[in-house]
Amino acid sequence: MSSKNSVQRPPVVQPNTGNNIIVNPVQRGNPILECVRNVGKEFGEIVVDYQVGRTTGVLFLSLRYHRLHPEYIHQRIEKMGLAFTLRILLLMCDVSEHQDPIRELTKICLINNITILVAWTPEEAGFYLSTLKQFEHKPPDMIKERQDKDYQSMLRTSLTSISKVNKTDVETLQTSLGNIANVAKASSEQLQNLPGFGQVKVRRLKDAFEKPFRNNA
Amino acid sequence: MSMLLAFHKNILEKIHDPSTNELLLLARGLGMRRIICKLLQIYDSPQSLILLVGASPEEESAIGEELGIMGCKKPGLRIVGFETGKKDRQDLYKKGGLISITSQILTVDMLTSEMPTHLITGILILHAERATPTSPEAFIVRLYREKNKSGFLKAFSDQPEHIISGMSPLRTIMKELQLRTVHIYPRFHQEVIDTLGRDRSSVLQLAIDMTEYMTEIHGAIVQCMTTTLSELKRSNTSLDLDDLNVENAYFRSFDMIVRRQLDTVWHKVGPRTKQLVNDLATLRRLLNYLLSYDALAFHAYLETLIASNTVNDAGNARQNQSPWMLTDAANIIFQYAKRRCYTVTKVAPTVNPQPIHDVDDEDAWAALDEMEGMAAKRPAFPQRAAQRPKWLPDGIEPVLEELPKWSLVAAALQEIEEEMIRRESQLSSRDPGTNTVLIMTSSLRTSQSLNEFLSSMNSDSPPGTEGRKMMESKLRTYFWWKSRLGERKQENKPQGSTHGGPNQNQNQRNNPTSSELGEALKKKDREKQARAASRRRTRGGGPPNAGASRDNPPSAGVPSGPTDGKGPADDSDTIAEFLATQDGDLFLTSVNGGLSQIDFASDFDAFYGLLPAEQTVLIRAYSDDTDELMLAEVQPRYIIMFEPNLDFVRRVEVYKKSNPGLGVRVYLLVYNFSCEEAKYLAGVRREKDAFERLIRERGSMLMPILEERRSESTDSLIKTISSRIAGGRKEINTEPSRVIVDMREFRSSLPSLLHASNLLVVPVTLTVGDYILTPDICVERKSIPDLVSSFNSGRLYTQCELMSVHYKQPILLIEWEEHKSFSLDTVADVKSYAKASNKYPPKKQAAANTDANVSAPTIQSKLVLLTLTFPRVRIIWSSSPYATAQIFNDLKSNNPEPDPLKAITVGAEEDPEVGAGVNTAAEELLRTFPGITSKNVKHVMNKVKSVRELCELSLPAVQEILGVQPGKACYEFIHHGESKR
Repeated sequence: MSSKNSVQRPPVVQPNTGNNIIVNPVQRGNPILECVRNVGKEFGEIVVDYQVGRTTGVLFLSLRYHRLHPEYIHQRIEKMGLAFTLRILLLMCDVSEHQDPIRELTKICLINNITILVAWTPEEAGFYLSTLKQFEHKPPDMIKERQDKDYQSMLRTSLTSISKVNKTDVETLQTSLGNIANVAKASSEQLQNLPGFGQVKVRRLKDAFEKPFRNNA
Repeated sequence: MSMLLAFHKNILEKIHDPSTNELLLLARGLGMRRIICKLLQIYDSPQSLILLVGASPEEESAIGEELGIMGCKKPGLRIVGFETGKKDRQDLYKKGGLISITSQILTVDMLTSEMPTHLITGILILHAERATPTSPEAFIVRLYREKNKSGFLKAFSDQPEHIISGMSPLRTIMKELQLRTVHIYPRFHQEVIDTLGRDRSSVLQLAIDMTEYMTEIHGAIVQCMTTTLSELKRSNTSLDLDDLNVENAYFRSFDMIVRRQLDTVWHKVGPRTKQLVNDLATLRRLLNYLLSYDALAFHAYLETLIASNTVNDAGNARQNQSPWMLTDAANIIFQYAKRRCYTVTKVAPTVNPQPIHDVDDEDAWAALDEMEGMAAKRPAFPQRAAQRPKWLPDGIEPVLEELPKWSLVAAALQEIEEEMIRRESQLSSRDPGTNTVLIMTSSLRTSQSLNEFLSSMNSDSPPGTEGRKMMESKLRTYFWWKSRLGERKQENKPQGSTHGGPNQNQNQRNNPTSSELGEALKKKDREKQARAASRRRTRGGGPPNAGASRDNPPSAGVPSGPTDGKGPADDSDTIAEFLATQDGDLFLTSVNGGLSQIDFASDFDAFYGLLPAEQTVLIRAYSDDTDELMLAEVQPRYIIMFEPNLDFVRRVEVYKKSNPGLGVRVYLLVYNFSCEEAKYLAGVRREKDAFERLIRERGSMLMPILEERRSESTDSLIKTISSRIAGGRKEINTEPSRVIVDMREFRSSLPSLLHASNLLVVPVTLTVGDYILTPDICVERKSIPDLVSSFNSGRLYTQCELMSVHYKQPILLIEWEEHKSFSLDTVADVKSYAKASNKYPPKKQAAANTDANVSAPTIQSKLVLLTLTFPRVRIIWSSSPYATAQIFNDLKSNNPEPDPLKAITVGAEEDPEVGAGVNTAAEELLRTFPGITSKNVKHVMNKVKSVRELCELSLPAVQEILGVQPGKACYEFIHHGESKR
């Protein structure tokens, strides 16, 4: 009998195998499902709408729906209980009057320890879901302080951190002065003579390089 | 001291009363500064406390100086900047008098009650056009009026063009500044006309044609602008872009118009549109530079522009170049710009390889030419003339076109000289004025090159070549610069052919074949061709001295390091190498000295160049009202305006009237059929329109009713006895609700709005977070550009880490600007990312080396990673600062108030200088250096005073501060490319 059963039943993948996003059947027909790319999807009975990781659950809410059924999200949050470490409310911003609902939801979510992510298009929402899954075990190196880069881009980020200085100016500075040390040494007149450098830009540069870091208050 | 004219006196009479508050709008150039200084002088007294708000550093010092001249010396105008310590500030406020203060400091001091707000006698606000509901000016006025109803408030503006935003811009400003009276004085005001007269014909206009090449370039740039504009219109058909025409595009405010039109849909417009908008700004700049830069500088700027445009951030060839760069017109620009500098003639590779002979040869030619007296007679076409200098590489013929205005200036000076002699007899020594000739230019840069021209001018040369000497020295510097550009290009491509070895390189150096001289920038394939060609040459007809040179290692004097081992790729290297062999020592100095080799007059404040006759020529750049003082001091009889400038024309009018009996002669130099003239006329029209609109608005304006100040007691009482708070069981808390705000946040508008929404704003210096709402809630605010940059620098990670350690409820606030599209910018990028990896697998290979670009993680994926890493960090998505203020109020209700003292100490253990003012620009810059992390940045800032000091430290000293490895990284970054001597 057991063999017969297994033949007839469609192959159901056990939830929590870990490699797929588990989708709550109520989400069937949601356009964002089509936009979840590069990761597998499966349906399963879960308390949230999408389970994208062992400890990560996502509720989905469209603001248009929220406007019609403001009580819905409260029920869902209640059902969710205290499950999951990272609790996310994926908010689809599809109305123009978004300020008040977002404000209200912000408060609710803060009380219930939920993090909000706002998407504006189904593609973006799908992208969030798939990225949440893909990055489940990713170390945070990407957003940590400075990965080593080549000299060019470092120089560019460095000098463009000063306001008014753009990429062309970096090029000019590098070709005419060489390196940061020389830029620091250059006088205002020298800088003024470079093509594209006006008084304001030169002052900004000088401020950044020569003014003391702090006053002695 | 500058004299007051009749209309000045009228204005002063109207506004000097310290019991009234008003806004004064005056046309630029009519002497706003005089009025302000006079007012300050009237009010100056130790018993009063007068604040001057919104003045830029230059204005502050100029006003201070003028007040000094007027006799307000003890103590005069004191300036409060970020360097002024807390104690000093308090002392200053107590002593009273005139104080100029930045709006940020004033806000903070009013909030912390360091400023005795109730004792302020009056505030003068400059640049009132900036006042908007979210601006610091509005915040200041609100704080001021809260505690002080008797003090006066005078606002000033001379920028009517800027008062345009919204339905009733004037009313907005009046409302925010809580004013009810406005005085408008355009140039066409009756009182002004009565004083200055109706006509403006006192200016002698000298028009000159642009050179042929310049005309071509000018036309091409305008054509590029037209193309870009129509492209912009085509891609955004839904928008009302009628305002966008080439004429408007001459002005800087055009960018703002476009941005305002597009802001609401900015997230929908593709990167293409954004690029088009940027391109317009670039083109406008080009147009300006064409008329003011010399030919070489213009060409150099173009080359830099190309270099930065064809290469993307990762150093690879860029896919989507600016569309205008690919047009025929752009080609014209580039071609002609080069042709204005030099032409390249092909020299057969079999040319005599010995440079020495070449030079001898030239000398002989020169001698011959000189004998024939040909030297100066053939200026237009390239020649092997007497001036041909030794350092010039073969095959390059200098053209060195000069700006036509230069010779026009020379001619005008000549005429003035004659005029002076003629008038000499009629003038007695008691007549006012001096024989100084004042030349006004649009920028310091222009005045410098003009000064150079005049001092090195050879007045015997035919028109158009007087500045040959100067241009030649510029050309030399240019070649040196260009060789650097070439080196850079090679560094970008380390995969360049190295198999040629030093042998080939040496040959190349001693045999400077110029056959591939030409464009500085080539596409990759053409570079390869060039490389192949040079290799072939080496193998084939190698010159006889090749073997000998192989034995000589490069001498120490030749700065050849960076080019060693790499095949020569373009002409810039050839030039560099040629120069190196030609004159090692001389060139070396120019390498070491960097730009200092291009020596210019050291002090640009006063350029005195002596001309043959005994007269002085003073060259200045247009600035603001300071020019008035300068005119009054110099008292010139002759003024040459190198470029048209409306403000200055008016200043001259005022100057003339202030000095009756002084015969002033003004020359105005204009290029025929150029944007200069159009720009000038359009500027006049724009100002007139703006004034007319404002006057109309004033006529129909509904006077804003000044809202009653909230009375704090009733408000807080209602809040505290609210029955919702646990039915009154909770003990009544009479403390007003407060938010702790980081000092640095006062540059944004949020603190102002928080204050407006009845929260008490407590400014302190926070180490962790930007806003503390409750003892548990800590908020880090990020605007969208901030968010992107702090994700890139990794700062956000550290900030979230710190917040998570110290607070129970860390929050990241992502705040959009009011009226800007509420959406993350990168939707389009998400799509292209998906496509690149899915739909077009064959492209993958090509993308492999540009993967840094393609797979650049989007902001969304970084956000996801952030939430995964810090599950406790919540995100607030706020569409505007207004929304944020509401949300903050929500979050604060029913929660205990935060303690400022506690908040200051959080995370600040290792920082001894809590509460000191910080130079944020310098800190930001420092943070981008390798080896410096958010953990040691404070330490570094304590060790060295400024970035410059760090740059001047030796390697061991840097390592001592940062540690061995990071110190080395940092040092090498700062001193990149310096030879290790």
